[in-house]
Amino acid sequence: MSKRKLARLLQTPAVLLLLVWMLVPLSMTLYFSFIRYVLNNLRRPEWTTPALSNWRGFGNYEFVLDAKDFWFAVQNSLFIVGSILFLTVTLGVLIAILINRAFPGRGIVRVLLISPFFVMPAVNAVLWINMILDPVLGLQGIAIGGINDLITLLKDAPLVGWFFSLWPTLEPISFRATQTSAYAVIIMVTWQWTPFAVLIFMTSLQSEDQQQKEAAVLDGAGAWSQFRFLTLPHLGRPIAIVVMIQAIFHLSLYAEIEIVSRGNGNKNLPYLIGEFANNNIGAASATGIFAVILANIVAIFLLRMIGKTLMD
Amino acid sequence: MGRIVLENVTKKFGDLEVIPPLNLTIEDGEFVVFVGPSGCGKSTLLRLIAGLEEVTSGRILIDGEDVTNIPPSKRGLAMVFQTYALYPHMSVRKNIAFPLRMAGMNEAEQNTRIEAAATALNLTDYLDRKPGQLSGGQRQRVAIGRAIVRDPTAFLFDEPLSNLDAALRVGMRLEISEMHKKLKTTMIYVTHDQVEAMTMADKIVVLQSGRVEQVGSPLDLYREPRNAFVAGFIGSPKMNFIDGEKAGTLGAHTIGVRPEHVQICPKGEGDVWQGKVGVAEHLGSDTFIHVHGIDGCDPMTVRAGGEVKINHGDTVYLSAQMDQIHKFDSEGHRVS
Repeated sequence: MSKRKLARLLQTPAVLLLLVWMLVPLSMTLYFSFIRYVLNNLRRPEWTTPALSNWRGFGNYEFVLDAKDFWFAVQNSLFIVGSILFLTVTLGVLIAILINRAFPGRGIVRVLLISPFFVMPAVNAVLWINMILDPVLGLQGIAIGGINDLITLLKDAPLVGWFFSLWPTLEPISFRATQTSAYAVIIMVTWQWTPFAVLIFMTSLQSEDQQQKEAAVLDGAGAWSQFRFLTLPHLGRPIAIVVMIQAIFHLSLYAEIEIVSRGNGNKNLPYLIGEFANNNIGAASATGIFAVILANIVAIFLLRMIGKTLMD
Repeated sequence: MGRIVLENVTKKFGDLEVIPPLNLTIEDGEFVVFVGPSGCGKSTLLRLIAGLEEVTSGRILIDGEDVTNIPPSKRGLAMVFQTYALYPHMSVRKNIAFPLRMAGMNEAEQNTRIEAAATALNLTDYLDRKPGQLSGGQRQRVAIGRAIVRDPTAFLFDEPLSNLDAALRVGMRLEISEMHKKLKTTMIYVTHDQVEAMTMADKIVVLQSGRVEQVGSPLDLYREPRNAFVAGFIGSPKMNFIDGEKAGTLGAHTIGVRPEHVQICPKGEGDVWQGKVGVAEHLGSDTFIHVHGIDGCDPMTVRAGGEVKINHGDTVYLSAQMDQIHKFDSEGHRVS
């Protein structure tokens, strides 16, 4: 047996395991997406067991495409993921640069910065929506109430009173409402995932070549040019990694959406799958296949974009 | 123009004084080499001139203008680093263009200068490559190209050849020397390699723990070292130092004689020392013989012809050219 064959043979178990691990769920989803398969139907009990005799062709796909929430869910998935990516990467880069310099208490600051990442998603959502974003009892409600009280007080003040009496009374935002629930999810997930970006960018910044920076200083580059032409390209790869990992995670957001508004005004594809899966496994599977396609498009698109703009 | 004057320049890192008050004048168009053992402050001195470190006290003047508090980019100096410090994400062309782009120069003028630099440095074929795709020598050329295009008042080189292999180092040494002959711009070159210092410099500055030990042309330093440190540092192989009785008879605490000024001679014909051969290094053109058992100097290095037949353990008799003997007092200063 040649060395090469032996190596292949020894690799086989691992490769087979990975193949089974990935292919079995994917093929089952594919199979279910082409048959009629529901959990409960009194009139057609034969649909409650998966079988080829229940073949529906592309019927499930047509059903999903015609469902009223599908395109909204696709659009909303992209909106949520895009916003979170933009915010976490921007904040991550800025914070990483800020704490890259030595200052007293840096160790503690770093630990505090990382800590949101250890909070469970559901706990994170409950904390934010009830304690911070709640229009009455949350920090938001208290803060806006405070500002309103202050303005009322200033309206009676001499000299400047006329100015403050022009001000409107501020209304707290209800983040459980249809129009705003997506923003609530974006805020809480950004809070939770910025530390991840900071952590990765921070390690990368520490490996930045200091002589390059000195050369740039002598070449006449100011702080902004150094950031734009040296630091940002240096961070290109870590940014790509952060974007890639986060895109995968956030395309499957569920807990936050469920807790904030139970999908009211704010659905993404996983949430839609969850709704279908209450009864219609076939439609849920078809939506799952759409989600896989969407994830691939997003990944390829994002990687291309980052590669082009930063690596040059 | 590029006349650089250091007036009572000092540098402290915390309480540690790296450069005690130092005065030095570098004339316009000179090729000056700072040489010394590692940790002697030569790189720090270069960084002070570049403005990458702030002086603790004293003044730095370039062409009569006080630049002590002027930021590095405004001093008109270009620096070539030991690690090349190329920008890894930019092509060679963009690397060379970077200082011009930062200066806001127009595209056409940029291109003319880049083409000129690339031609001078044989980089024309590599302009669109990334630094990662180049060899060490080519990277060093790009770093030099980035310095040339700026048309600086002076070039600063910080051990630029240390990361290259021996053969390339000799080649680049010649190229930098030729570049200096052509451009006639002031160059300050830092190295720990005395061969580089001797071959390239118009003027060598020998440094030890931040102090200037001697300033002079390579041959001045070779012929008349001011003290034992300079004598030992300049010249390869190192000068032999002999103390004790022999030195006393010549009225010195220590005497020094270079390996090339010691000869092997037959017994009784003016021999001064007698010893046993340890290792003989045959280089082809020369043989360096290390002789053991000589009072006050062990081993003594002797430079002999390439074809000399000598073996380990042979007894040899040595004589020295008396007019080439350097005398030093107990503190290492030269006695004439």
